[in-house]
Amino acid sequence: MSLPRHLFTPAFRHQHLGRSFAAIVGIMVFIASFATAAETVLLTAGYLWGRTMETRITVEIPAVGDETAMPQAERVRQVTSVLRAMPDVGLVMPLSDDEVERLLRPWFEKPELLKALPLPTLIDVERKSGSALSAGQIQDALKNVVADARVDDHGAWTQDIWRLVRGLTILGAVTIALTAITLILTVSLICRAVMAAEHETISLLHLLGAENKDIARHFQKQAERIALRAAAIGFLFSLAVTAALLFTTRHIADLSSLRVGHWAGLGIVAFLVPVCAIFIAAISARVSVMRLIKSFP
Amino acid sequence: MLLSFDNVCLTYPPNHKILDNVSFTLAEGGFCFLTGTSGAGKSSLLRLIYQSERPTSGQINLFGEPLANRGHTKQAELRRKIGIVFQDFRLIPHLTAWENAALPLRLTNADEAYVKRHTQELLEWVGVGDRMDAHPAELSGGEQQRVAIARAVVTRPRLLLADEPTGNVDDDTALKLFHLFDELNKIGTAVILATHQSQLVDKFQKPAWRLQGGRLTSSLSSSQSFRA
Repeated sequence: MSLPRHLFTPAFRHQHLGRSFAAIVGIMVFIASFATAAETVLLTAGYLWGRTMETRITVEIPAVGDETAMPQAERVRQVTSVLRAMPDVGLVMPLSDDEVERLLRPWFEKPELLKALPLPTLIDVERKSGSALSAGQIQDALKNVVADARVDDHGAWTQDIWRLVRGLTILGAVTIALTAITLILTVSLICRAVMAAEHETISLLHLLGAENKDIARHFQKQAERIALRAAAIGFLFSLAVTAALLFTTRHIADLSSLRVGHWAGLGIVAFLVPVCAIFIAAISARVSVMRLIKSFP
Repeated sequence: MLLSFDNVCLTYPPNHKILDNVSFTLAEGGFCFLTGTSGAGKSSLLRLIYQSERPTSGQINLFGEPLANRGHTKQAELRRKIGIVFQDFRLIPHLTAWENAALPLRLTNADEAYVKRHTQELLEWVGVGDRMDAHPAELSGGEQQRVAIARAVVTRPRLLLADEPTGNVDDDTALKLFHLFDELNKIGTAVILATHQSQLVDKFQKPAWRLQGGRLTSSLSSSQSFRA
């Protein structure tokens, strides 16, 4: 069946229904694509970052007021020796004073104040893969060498971060699901309005012997053409906004460690959103038409 | 038998009887006028045939099958065998005369080249060959009626239903259109032509059924029979 391509065009132009239809699809695709991209980036970055952090332990050796008792350098040497002797420890890396300063700088308004303070020494410790070495065990091992050394296990607080990431992921999924539902409802409403505007044409086609599925398919194609353009615009716009956001927040979320596979996955997931939106719009349009035609005698 | 009505009644709520025990038959290739005053039920009777309405009681058989309880697909298939000329033309305003006339043929999945050639020939035959690219609003009443007729017969239907096809044209044009229906009938299409213009009916020497008070009265010929 090859009905004129523009058979339902005036109906979509009626009271700018086509524009509303396109705007709804475009906006929904933008929101869903952006939410999907943000969610995927968050999950991937969280996973990569968490994988690094959960194997790390930081040992803090407070600065000594009286260097005559035991100089700080000697305290650091003894601690590193004990740590390196532990079988489950992979890497022991004392941070330089400059690095410690750099870490603390955001908390001090005046840099000269930082210079005046006695800074602790931080030692970055990496557990071997699969090791169950705990902060408590390290603390015990250091007790007899430098009693005031403090051990901080990143695994504990990264769990909280993970919970936050998971919460945000669920929120993102709910946002996408709500967007899809809104899209279905809005497209159905617009289609009903379009059908009302083109009731005469559809009724005539029906009387001329057009089958319900053919009328619905033709209407669906028209809706698809509009949805395709709108979804492409929404998708490209969301890509641009996501890229701009990633660029401006690159110092917070460093994604340079993402591999090609991660980016490809992100691309596929983001691309699926407009495809799904077009599919949803087309099916909603079809179902709306079928419902109306079935009410005809 | 192409079409038969058997004690068909049509009542609109609450109790407005439009057709009262109407029975008739129409043979393959037959022709008849359906006359009666405005509001006599002519359009309702035609609507029952193309299933835009369902009878309150009685049975209608079309092309050898009862019309009742048909599915949408079967109903569409049946409608493609009927040509309908509506009283108000019902041309789609944003389609050209050619696109309007070609519409039923396109519903049959006909080859596009055939659709183009056949529709063009048909529009020339009905006398609007030079107005094919015009939209309905650019056509006169008579031209619109001719396009509507072309659309009704473009698939060479077995049955043509025409509801007051000359209601909006002058007498000369009406006469020409009646001749057009007569020619269609001669090439094998059965025709039921509803009209209130009795002077035109008289000129054609064809059987005429008259609807009055919901009942059918008739003059008969060999190809039609009637039982009131």
